[in-house]
Amino acid sequence: MTLRLHLSVNGSAHDLEVPASRRLIDLLRYDLGLTGTKEGCGIGVCGACTVLLGGRMISSCLALAAFADGAEVTTVEGLANDARLHPVQQAFIDYGGFQCGICTPGQLVAAKALLDEIPNPTEDEIQEWMLGNLCRCTGYYKIVESIQRVGGPDMAPHTPPRSERPGGPGAFLDSPPGA
Amino acid sequence: MSPTVVGKPIPRVEGADKVTGKARYAADVHLPGLLWGKLARSPLPHARILRIATDKARALPGVHAVLTAEDIPAVLVGRRMLDMPVLARDRVRFIGEPVAAVAAETLEVAEEAVTLVEAEYEELPAVFDPLAALTADAPIVHGDPGAYQGAPKERPHANVQSIQRHREGDPERGFGQAARVFEHTFRTPRAHQGYLEPRASVVSIDDRGRVQVWTCNKTPFRLKEQLAQAIQLPAERIRINPAPIGGDFGGKGFFTDVALAYHLARVAGRPVKIVMSYTEELMAGCPRHPSVITLRTGVDANGRIVARTSRAVFDGGAYAAFKPRPNVDLHGGHQAGGVYRIPHLDVESVCVYTNNVPGGHARSPGEPQMIFAVESHTDMIARELGIDPADFRRRNLIGEGERLGTGHVVERVKAREALESALEAGQWRAPRRPRVGRGLAMSQRFAGLGDASVRLRREADGRFRLITAIPDTGTGAHTVFRQIVAEVLGVPLDRVVISIGDTDSVANDAGVGGSRVTRVGGQAVYRAAQAMREALARGTDPNRPLETEAQFNADKAESVTSFSAQVAEVEVDPETGAVKVLRMVTVHDAGRVINPIGHQGQIEGGLVQGLGLAMMEEIRAEDGRISTLSLGDYKLPVTKDTPPLTTVILEDPVGPGPFEAKAIGEMSISPVAPAIANAIFDACGVRITELPLTAEKVFFALQSRGGSR
Repeated sequence: MTLRLHLSVNGSAHDLEVPASRRLIDLLRYDLGLTGTKEGCGIGVCGACTVLLGGRMISSCLALAAFADGAEVTTVEGLANDARLHPVQQAFIDYGGFQCGICTPGQLVAAKALLDEIPNPTEDEIQEWMLGNLCRCTGYYKIVESIQRVGGPDMAPHTPPRSERPGGPGAFLDSPPGA
Repeated sequence: MSPTVVGKPIPRVEGADKVTGKARYAADVHLPGLLWGKLARSPLPHARILRIATDKARALPGVHAVLTAEDIPAVLVGRRMLDMPVLARDRVRFIGEPVAAVAAETLEVAEEAVTLVEAEYEELPAVFDPLAALTADAPIVHGDPGAYQGAPKERPHANVQSIQRHREGDPERGFGQAARVFEHTFRTPRAHQGYLEPRASVVSIDDRGRVQVWTCNKTPFRLKEQLAQAIQLPAERIRINPAPIGGDFGGKGFFTDVALAYHLARVAGRPVKIVMSYTEELMAGCPRHPSVITLRTGVDANGRIVARTSRAVFDGGAYAAFKPRPNVDLHGGHQAGGVYRIPHLDVESVCVYTNNVPGGHARSPGEPQMIFAVESHTDMIARELGIDPADFRRRNLIGEGERLGTGHVVERVKAREALESALEAGQWRAPRRPRVGRGLAMSQRFAGLGDASVRLRREADGRFRLITAIPDTGTGAHTVFRQIVAEVLGVPLDRVVISIGDTDSVANDAGVGGSRVTRVGGQAVYRAAQAMREALARGTDPNRPLETEAQFNADKAESVTSFSAQVAEVEVDPETGAVKVLRMVTVHDAGRVINPIGHQGQIEGGLVQGLGLAMMEEIRAEDGRISTLSLGDYKLPVTKDTPPLTTVILEDPVGPGPFEAKAIGEMSISPVAPAIANAIFDACGVRITELPLTAEKVFFALQSRGGSR
């Protein structure tokens, strides 16, 4: 059995016919070629496949593509505006919010959803919101800091950084990124 | 002149690709006509294969190839010891071992076809405990392991994969000098590397008959050799194409299913992609070896360690094929001396065959297991002697020019400074609230060995292009390379670009592993940049191509190592046994830091992996059948598990890397579990000698002690 779906992905309208069992993640990755969205655990616990459906975070590995019929989907490919990165993308680059990058699309989509809802989140709010996005590389410290720092290097975090490397050689928290 | 680019927090060279979704990992590779591969796996831990029927699977519409061992060359494969078939032949030795492979139009059809492969087995006696596997009447996993290519010679029992011994001094005499002797046994579980990119392999045979490979492998030149042997083709016919790797942590040096993807592609005449599900990762990946480690230590009347014996038994599972070291052993088995001066030492490290999933490399192989044992044991001895654990360490710390338990004589020793810094930042002597305890642990590790080759080219537009075959595993290595080139040439960063080449693009490269990339690859980059600087200084025609090439081979350890010291502060709930890590301090003896963002990222990531091993991670199995088959059951740390962290860097520019850099990738993982175990003892007086340090274990230990103190 196939279904005919109309949906908008990152502002582009799509009209396609897919098997009824098609998952949203597979529609994005294989029917539309948007491979930025990653599959990690496949059961909705790791967050690598996080996308926005009508502005709300979902795990696209658990959603049937049919759920997106008539809806607007936002993936990591839709965060930047033309060539201009979303501030949270820039902050992840400047503050080391990723390493291997496999969880990063999901982290960024989740962080954007957080910032849309709470523009200036506390560290505790960030930790709570990002609970469903696993990262094995960073230990999360720089993800949390990156989200706190959205708005630029001059914006001090609300609290002292959760990970500090006081003074001494190699200290960098006071140096502007890219210096 | 002091460096201008080296030491600065330069953002990642691949940053924009990774935050926009453009970075194309192996599972993202799409080729015209691509088929999906899937494997049928053994449901039994040890059995004779009587029959495999594939006709129903072949008859399924959309299926293009179904293979069993009969359809492929009868070769054995391995990274060092060649003891594993590509598909099980006659016999299966663990649950999850591949017995058949299918390729189909879609993943759904491939998955259905796998269920239609019918295999009949005759079950054989199996062994799951590594100590039981070494008993006289244990079931034998392999008939004659000594006959395998690459097999170590010594084998006191047929279930031994490898046995390595190391002695310092005269242990019998040493124990004769001891006033007290302490013996403790520790256990650690099987654990997954926890990368979030399940293994993926794409193979296409191009028009000229070349085998094109995209996979998540961090040692592409080694993979090329392994694959050539597995598929019986000359290595020149194989090209490993670069793809970023979605997390490695030791696990992505394994050759995965590339040979099967090749055979399926050959038979089907179309490219094939095999992507493991995370369930397959947890069932049949290449996990960290479980261990049973017994340490026996003699201490003299002054609280000085005089002798130690260490016996480490690692559960190697059904095959030794995933271990890459020439001795088929784990590095950590030989770290039994820790950071201490131990004049008489007898170390034995054994990897054992069982009918469990084969073990592989995981961040600092064998070391978190051994350091959990060594640093818990150190604390237990100090407590039994009534000496403060910090003072006991001070008495026994390795000093300048002394021999570590590994036999290395070390210089520029920062052990004491690391210890004192950790104690100060960890407020070791400050009053504790009730139920709160502090624990200390230390480790040391040398930068890894290996070779690297790179090319550096001046482009027509005046930029310099570095060509390296070191894959991007996420460590930030290429950003470090870019800094090195810019620094040596004295040019702005934006005039240095990086190309990650395939296995045709440079001569040879050992790839990523053993915390070696900055040291080994970095030295090759440094040399290529120096050669370029000299060529430019000689004066060249800017319109003519200019290229330099450099190779670097680190083949023996230097006299300089890296020390780490950590303090954990925990609170234990006496009602439930729940342990909360309140904060951690980590101190690293770091040489010169080339990129502080990347450097700190390695420290934080390694520390939180150590926290996972300490508190929650365990692949649980019963009779070889794994029960933690999803990331819902196999818990990795999440944001809220991470404690506030203070990092102290001791910079001493004497490292073996370019600009006196030292290694960092594997320095923060090992002390975490013992620091926390020691803190739990400090908080509530119970000693947990088996990881992970769960609330249940603490609760029952408190119960058997008759309540809290």
